[in-house]
Amino acid sequence: MNTKIISLIGITSTALLLTACGPSVKRIDATGNEGLVTVDEVDFKDWQIAAEKGINSLLASGVLNRSDGRKSILMISTVKNSTMQHINTRILTDKIRQALLRSGKVLTTTAVGGNGPDDMASKQVRRLEEDDMFNQSTVQKRGTAIAPDMSFSGEIVQQTSSQGRMRESYFFFHMALTDLATGLAVWEDNVEIAKQGKKPLMGW
Amino acid sequence: MARLLLLACQATANTVENEQKSMQVAAVDTSKVSTDAFLKNRLEIVRVDKKELPDGLLKVQVTARNVRTGFWTQLASWFMGDNPYQIAYRFTWLDIDGMEVETAASTWIPKTVIPGDTVRLNAVSPNPRCKDFTLSIRENDAARG
Repeated sequence: MNTKIISLIGITSTALLLTACGPSVKRIDATGNEGLVTVDEVDFKDWQIAAEKGINSLLASGVLNRSDGRKSILMISTVKNSTMQHINTRILTDKIRQALLRSGKVLTTTAVGGNGPDDMASKQVRRLEEDDMFNQSTVQKRGTAIAPDMSFSGEIVQQTSSQGRMRESYFFFHMALTDLATGLAVWEDNVEIAKQGKKPLMGW
Repeated sequence: MARLLLLACQATANTVENEQKSMQVAAVDTSKVSTDAFLKNRLEIVRVDKKELPDGLLKVQVTARNVRTGFWTQLASWFMGDNPYQIAYRFTWLDIDGMEVETAASTWIPKTVIPGDTVRLNAVSPNPRCKDFTLSIRENDAARG
């Protein structure tokens, strides 16, 4: 009897120990405040804050309104990464593009972009005019795509500093909207994000 | 231990809404400011303003003031890690039917409020269909020292 009890306790203890050693993983609210905060990297929360502030500023500026009543056509140019990290600035540009499209103030083009077209299809389908497999009356004609009026661009700059065990990163998100007819920047704004962290006495 | 208990009480969201509703739903006819005891004693909502921009977008501004001033109060705030006070806020937009309008970017924005300071929380509606809004404010535990 005693042997059985001891075995049971042993099995239970082992099971508990293994459970405790297992990975602790959970889903978090992507719009909440529970995400990891790092000093040197642009965390997902930083992208969200930069995008939201940029969108608010751009919508409030009124530069998207046209006197002729037509909607502006917006292309996404490049957002230069001048940080020390390998980051994909698409998180920022996609959020801004979607927000501006949903605002009803602009139409966005995927046929042209700073890093090449987002969607190659606009160009590809026009090559079908050389393909006798397709009914030529259904093939998209040349000269029908609409060229952009405005371009969104930007740059993300990082500056780091440290003092003792304290480390600090300053991220500077610069955003601009250019009127492609004149080449003039009709809107510019910056979002600044600063983060601090203290290194532990031992380790990293 | 007491600090742990108090901190545990501060993780709730708090809201403030515009009083004059444009949406045609059965909404309360009063300005709704609901805060938990901790946030209420630290952040006072001074006023809520809204302005319709020429292109039909709505700009709102909520003015709030950190009322934790005075020696003993600030000493208590320092002990609690509330000085400066760290909050996060988020705007939610509603159309004329009271339905939430999904936005491409709606996130909790962190804000530091120094005791006695007045801050203005601004937002512009994502499109002209938005007629009303809700502002949620919470303590930003992630930014506490």
